[in-house]
Amino acid sequence: MHKPLSLKIGMGWVRGIAGESLTPQLAASLAAAFGTWCGKGPVLVGTDTRPSRDMVTQASIAGLLSVGCAPVCLGIVPLPALQFRLRSSDAVGAICISASHNPVEWNALKFFGADGIVLRPNQFAELIDLYHQGVYPRVKAHEIADIRHDDSAVARHHECVLSAVDADLIRSRRFRIAIDCCNGAASRAAPAFLRSLGCDVIEVHTDPAAPFPRNPEPVPENLGALCRAVRESGADAGFAQDADADRLAVVGENGEPLGEDSTVALSAHHVLSRRPGPVVVNVSTSRLVDEVGCRFSSPVFRSKVGEIHVLERMLSCGAAIGGEGNGGVIYPSVNPCRDSFVAMALLLEALVQFKGTMRDLRRLYPSYAIVKQRVPCRPRDAASFLRLVRHLHRNDELDVSDGIMVRWPDRWLHVRGSETEPVLRIIAEAPTEPEAQALVRRVLDYLRPLI
Amino acid sequence: MKELKISTSWIRGVVGEALTPELAVNFACAFGTWAEGGPVAICRDTRRSSPMLRAAVAAGLMSTGCEVIDIGVCSTPLLSFAVRELGCSGGIAITGSHNDARWNALKFLGPDGPLLNPAKGEELLDIYHASSFAAAALTRAPAPMVEPNFEPRYLEHLLSSLDLDPIRARGFRVALDFCNGVCAGIAAEFLTKLGCTLVPVNAEATGDFAHAPAPAPANMGELARRTLESKADLGAAFNIDGDRVAFVQEKGIPLSEEYTLPLAALSRLARRPGTVVTNLSTSRMIESLAHRCGQSVTRTAVGESYVMDRGLEEGAVLAGEGSGGVAALPVSMTFDALLTLGMVLETMATSSASLAELVGQLPVFAMLKGEIPCLPDQAYRTLEYFRLCHDGRSPDCTDGVRVEWADAWLHVRVSNTEPLVRVIVEAESEGRAGSLFAEAMELARRALAGSRGAHHA
Repeated sequence: MHKPLSLKIGMGWVRGIAGESLTPQLAASLAAAFGTWCGKGPVLVGTDTRPSRDMVTQASIAGLLSVGCAPVCLGIVPLPALQFRLRSSDAVGAICISASHNPVEWNALKFFGADGIVLRPNQFAELIDLYHQGVYPRVKAHEIADIRHDDSAVARHHECVLSAVDADLIRSRRFRIAIDCCNGAASRAAPAFLRSLGCDVIEVHTDPAAPFPRNPEPVPENLGALCRAVRESGADAGFAQDADADRLAVVGENGEPLGEDSTVALSAHHVLSRRPGPVVVNVSTSRLVDEVGCRFSSPVFRSKVGEIHVLERMLSCGAAIGGEGNGGVIYPSVNPCRDSFVAMALLLEALVQFKGTMRDLRRLYPSYAIVKQRVPCRPRDAASFLRLVRHLHRNDELDVSDGIMVRWPDRWLHVRGSETEPVLRIIAEAPTEPEAQALVRRVLDYLRPLI
Repeated sequence: MKELKISTSWIRGVVGEALTPELAVNFACAFGTWAEGGPVAICRDTRRSSPMLRAAVAAGLMSTGCEVIDIGVCSTPLLSFAVRELGCSGGIAITGSHNDARWNALKFLGPDGPLLNPAKGEELLDIYHASSFAAAALTRAPAPMVEPNFEPRYLEHLLSSLDLDPIRARGFRVALDFCNGVCAGIAAEFLTKLGCTLVPVNAEATGDFAHAPAPAPANMGELARRTLESKADLGAAFNIDGDRVAFVQEKGIPLSEEYTLPLAALSRLARRPGTVVTNLSTSRMIESLAHRCGQSVTRTAVGESYVMDRGLEEGAVLAGEGSGGVAALPVSMTFDALLTLGMVLETMATSSASLAELVGQLPVFAMLKGEIPCLPDQAYRTLEYFRLCHDGRSPDCTDGVRVEWADAWLHVRVSNTEPLVRVIVEAESEGRAGSLFAEAMELARRALAGSRGAHHA
């Protein structure tokens, strides 16, 4: 029996268990391939706080130097700040070393083009072709560039985000906010950012030198410490980020998580309340967003799962805001990427205008129950499984652009093969939890003989 | 042909061709596996390619679970000292040493600081070739890479092995050519402590080398001129990582790097009698000198790791090679240009002599060196041809073929660093050396022609 593979090449990133499948050899070669793809010039390199960050960073720097690129080290930096810095610099690309919401033993290289956007599928395919070809235009010794350092990314990013909201208005409310950075990339930046918005900040897990205290994915079961901190301090809200700080989860003033899907829905509520416009979310995002779009007469478009698909759709339809149900908010007029800082600023501004509590804001919209289930499934078997699901729901309204999406007026079911793990994801949303459970169970029962 | 040379104690190659980050990562992984996860100290020279290799080496070491202690830009002997002081499992010096700027290399140091000896080096190469590297679970925060300042302790260590007062009393003026390598800062400090005045030449640590870095008279023109102009007591040319040195006399006359070992021996054997170890290609001057002091000389294959390994095994007091690399044992575990300079200054001070007067005490031999380009597959035939031609004189075949006469010797061997066969002849008279050399070069050409013929047939 083979050990399950941990190396995964996804959309714009290569992810693995550091030292096991993500080796320094692999990182150096990928960086050399990326430098080949970008061409000679500055390439930003930033990391989150994982223990393997130095190993992967050093290997990447070596690979970049070998093909004539000039690495610009940003050190530990939130991903949205790195992407913002990339757009405002003369860099030809960037590598972010972070496995985002994955557990601590994982790491990844994520690649960005000069426009600050993660490599698009066709660009990434070129990069992987270069890597497989394995022949890089190495420069001679005297053409090797200097390694530079840049610690301005966080300040520049903060300044831009603050300019997009009425910062003085937010400051006037003197919010008390608990923040859980998972000891990740935003551990220094996020508390400072909230303080610059006049908040009294309760810090939870904001030591970048300490290990991850929890699984970095900001889902309710990982937010116990933050919920407690909100309750004990009487905070107006709690915010939780993942390790690279692109995603945000919100805890209400009662110390209960609002649910990941609320982040993009409430951010959209605020943006559309000022100026209606198209919204783009992925097919797996809660119907909550449809309710928001409906309230402000704004169309809601659905894309395939994956940040780049959401973003491409947003750019093509001129979306006002978009994102993913996992807590990733994309507000393109500030930063064309998932940005937890933008989400925090929008939500705080929304709270000021709403003149109520976070719970009350959430209660403007009905509750839906989302049930998620994972079924072990080798990537090679995913298609057969999906065919069965399609057969099961052959008489319902189907969308097969990304796995199988089945929609009813007040509920939906989505089944797709994961991009990051050898599992099949089954997600259902319905007005109540038993109803959502029933949708998932029906699929499970149907697939049971194969599992 | 991609230029890459791998020995048991270093890998050396042209950057961007054979020497890539991936190769450096692989060797660092092999070394980290060999070091069994213990702390490893690293340093680098001033070459433009050295930060790239440093990053690759650090990544490889970290992936095998080694703590990386980065000593920064410094000499190989200083790294060796740090490895010893910190109790590291080993060290990697990123330096192309005496090679030109296109090249770079990783030198592997074992515990206690010497270059890996052949037995340890073979273990390393086996791990490299098997590609089965230790993979550490990187789930705990690594110790941050720091650059501890070892200069003061290292200088104190060197100074404690020298007779300081006589040197200070002389107030020498020393012209020093660093070839834009790593030693300018530390040498200034060292000479100040010895009460000397430094005349720096090519001291900017830019990595853009003012001339070919090997310390040899052909590369010492500028230093010779500056020595004369500044009325210095002596001139010294260091290589990039500060393990080799050659000298210029006070009249501006460069000395062959073959003089470095005998000059150092004058000091070392006077203070601490004992065995001297050198390689088969080094001048007989050292034998004359050692015998005068009642000491013996042991000869080994060419290469610092062979010479030092034998020196440590035999408890020798001095080990060195005709290339200008000298180590006073047990003060240094690698060749050390700074200490060698100190020893020569010490002899000049204690014997109240000028460098020219010291040189006058050494026997005079004529040495001729030649090299013939030779592909690796032709080398063995060439050596075999020599061995057969000199069969009657029972040649020493430890490293190539070495033949001795009462008044002369001849050594033919394959270069460790370049695709060459080297021919070296030394004799008591120039005439004798000339005729032996001409004969040997002719033999080598004939052997090569034969092997080429055989090759094409």
